[in-house]
Amino acid sequence: MRIEDRDVGRVSAAIYGGLSALGVGAFFLATLLTGDYSWVSRIGGSIWIFLLAMIILMPTVTPLVRSRVRG
Amino acid sequence: MTTERKPVEITLPVSGMTCAACVRRVEKALNAVPGVESASVNLSAAKAGVVYDPEAAGVRDLEAAITGIGYEVPAARLELIVTGMTAGHCDLIIEKALRQMPGVENVVVNCATDLVAVDYLDVAVTSAAIKKTIRELGYEVADRGKREDSIDRERQMRREELRRQTINMLIAWPVGALVMLGTFQGEWILHEFVPSFMGEKWFLFLLTTPLVAGPARQFFVNSWNGLRHGLTDMNLLYATGIGAAYLIAVINTFFPSAGFGGERATFYEAAALLVAFIVLGRYLEALTRGRVSDAIRKLMQLQPRRAIVLRDGEEQEVPVDEIEAGDVCLVRPGAGIPVDGVVVEGYSAVDESMVTGESLPVEKRVDDETIAGTINKTGSFQMRATRVGADTALSQIIKLVEDAQTTKAPIQSLADKVAGHFILGVHVLALAVFLFWFFVGHGLWFEEETRLLLTPYTLAELEVFGFALLISVTVLVISCPCAVGLATPAAMMAGTGKGAEYGILFKGADAVEATSRVDTVVLDKTGTLTKGEPSVTDIVAVRGDDDELLALAAAVEKSSEHPLAEAIVEATVGKGLTLPTISDFDSVPGKGVEAKADGRSVLLGNRRLMDDHTVDLANRAAEAERLELEGKTVMFMAIDGELAALIAVADTLKETSERAVSELKKMGLEVAMITGDNKRTANAIARQLGIDRVLAEVLPQDKAAEVERLQAEGKKVAMVGDGVNDAPALAKADVGIAIGSGTDVAKETGNVVLIRDDVLDVTAAVQVGRATMRLVRQNLFWAFGYNAATIPLAAGLLYPFTSQMVSPELAALLMASSSFSVTMNTLRMRGFVPAIKRGPPSAPAEEVRSVPETATEVGS
Repeated sequence: MRIEDRDVGRVSAAIYGGLSALGVGAFFLATLLTGDYSWVSRIGGSIWIFLLAMIILMPTVTPLVRSRVRG
Repeated sequence: MTTERKPVEITLPVSGMTCAACVRRVEKALNAVPGVESASVNLSAAKAGVVYDPEAAGVRDLEAAITGIGYEVPAARLELIVTGMTAGHCDLIIEKALRQMPGVENVVVNCATDLVAVDYLDVAVTSAAIKKTIRELGYEVADRGKREDSIDRERQMRREELRRQTINMLIAWPVGALVMLGTFQGEWILHEFVPSFMGEKWFLFLLTTPLVAGPARQFFVNSWNGLRHGLTDMNLLYATGIGAAYLIAVINTFFPSAGFGGERATFYEAAALLVAFIVLGRYLEALTRGRVSDAIRKLMQLQPRRAIVLRDGEEQEVPVDEIEAGDVCLVRPGAGIPVDGVVVEGYSAVDESMVTGESLPVEKRVDDETIAGTINKTGSFQMRATRVGADTALSQIIKLVEDAQTTKAPIQSLADKVAGHFILGVHVLALAVFLFWFFVGHGLWFEEETRLLLTPYTLAELEVFGFALLISVTVLVISCPCAVGLATPAAMMAGTGKGAEYGILFKGADAVEATSRVDTVVLDKTGTLTKGEPSVTDIVAVRGDDDELLALAAAVEKSSEHPLAEAIVEATVGKGLTLPTISDFDSVPGKGVEAKADGRSVLLGNRRLMDDHTVDLANRAAEAERLELEGKTVMFMAIDGELAALIAVADTLKETSERAVSELKKMGLEVAMITGDNKRTANAIARQLGIDRVLAEVLPQDKAAEVERLQAEGKKVAMVGDGVNDAPALAKADVGIAIGSGTDVAKETGNVVLIRDDVLDVTAAVQVGRATMRLVRQNLFWAFGYNAATIPLAAGLLYPFTSQMVSPELAALLMASSSFSVTMNTLRMRGFVPAIKRGPPSAPAEEVRSVPETATEVGS
């Protein structure tokens, strides 16, 4: 099945959103496993990680998906 | 279940088709594209109608099929004025967003001029859609329209942008200063005159919030618009920096025990100063954009708006637009010349410096040409309009400079690419730094005495997250190469504008860059180093007197079209000589001419012609050789089989040629001369000029091959010559410099057009090119350099040793410094004068020396 142009945004969002969430999950897990961090640090850090990961992945993933769609 | 798709029909313009075979080729290529159901090409309309399945094929596939077999799909061009662009690589954002649109072929964005040029296929995308995309990114768009309108509109929009940033400055700096005073209220002697309520967190909150919501709003809006299109830009760095600092401050205000430094460490001053410094950067950029386009604006303002036209013997003042070719205009002292024309009555001196770069006023008599936009200095004169509107030299020059300013130099493409990756890299770095200080650094090195530079408080209450976040934000802010978008285009605009001031027109930013890189300059001899007007320099009479022999030679050569023949005929003008009647004229190709005059047999030509007729040259051979060693072309004349005279013909070197060659050599360039002359005479001229490398006996059609040969030696070659005759060589060279175009600049080939016929301008062109590229490199250094250099400090490299951290506001100061440096550095170009133009006026040659015409031998 071909992905249409209008689906690029949605597919990309699913990928970079998923990857960012995965990054946050890894961070959160690390805070649980590696030290005695406060909940402020854990949650605040997760939000910051998510934000940076989204900023990094959005412009990286979207063109990749678009180029795949356009062949 | 599959959905049945309707095929789409479009009509593509196709250029380059000449016959039915072309039609078949294009149709075949289109039909071969998967998804195309049918294609029919109309040769006379130069269009291809295609029915295709849009799911299986796109317009780009169709276009690729056509271009792939050697034809073109001409694109429409849309020129827009886009405001709201900052140097924060907005050009990349717009370019990237537009290039993603199907049907958009090429996009050139110039932040410095606010111009966006888009080449697009109008069958695939509309201009409205292009404008809409730009608007969605958060910018304002207007059609460029007519030049006069556009300059007004550009000026208006620039003024508006400057006004907006000025208002932002007027809000941000006083508020920022108040926040700083409040933050430092308890320090030093400030508590004596700063009221204590100013140090209250609630007061700081009330001051800073409108600042973030007002002047800083643009960064949040723009970065969100970019992100929606999957694009990141500097605005994002600003937004994350300001947003994070403000958020920490708000958390510390409302939840002081949350672990972000406690009640005292509010960070409002960080957010406020970040806004103030970034807005300062924006203001400086807006200021620079206005200033660097001064040159072109000055050119546009040269054109007078009204002129006096003589109609039916009456003087009528009319708008310049209404002047038609053939109209006679009256130009009074001090008035601007309205259109290009020819003087029909009167005499005056005209200041042409603004168009040609000629510093001295030029005398104008009847039949002399006048240039629109130049200023009449002394007397009144009448002129007949020859070129009006867009055809005038001034309009052509403006167009050339404007076109040049919408191109992108290779170095700019590279800088843009680097900037694009740099921003992404900075975010990756900020992430890595955060993780490092969160998991490793804080535990190892955190001290209760931790201080932020430029802040009054210790950060003992800072928890691990607040600590790592602060460092991460500082990295984001300090790394921002915010001036990079302006660094190259601003320098290029300044450089091309400066060139135009001196009559040096670069046809693109790539031409500026290429000119700065040349290491070899090949100068065509005739017309470039010499005046291109050969004249008789010596007559050595063997039998008879000079005038009699000259008259005879002129009579024989009168029927010849060779340049040397013209020189001989010209030599008799004004001497009152009577030319004898000629009969039995015959031209011997490559040798000379034969004829009968008053019953005598006359031969005039080179040695080979004399040898053919066994004319003995022995007793004058030494004299002939001496003349040739002086760089002259010697013609032999024999009467009734006996040598009668030697006639030497030579071209005259331009007064500035020797100095130009010497200056080029001083600049480290290898200078070569290319000519059709024989080696002996070519070497003689080269010696006079100090040229080391001579490419002699080169036929005009072989000049391009010679240039190619030099390039094969690894040289970056600039070829200087006549833009018409030397066109192939100019095109082949890394930089083709067309010299002496006069006012008809549009017809010239080559990357650089020199309006004046002065070889010194070649030197000036290289100097302008080098100065511009130096400026570009310096700007890029300021834009990237010390931001990058301070990243390790921001990332906390010194923290383990000093317990001091770079504060976000210090990072903002450094970031704004790069904008400030780029701005100041670019504005320096306004005062730039090419070294060759700085010295005393070129000294006249001690004596007028002569060089031969291009012919290898007489009659060749």
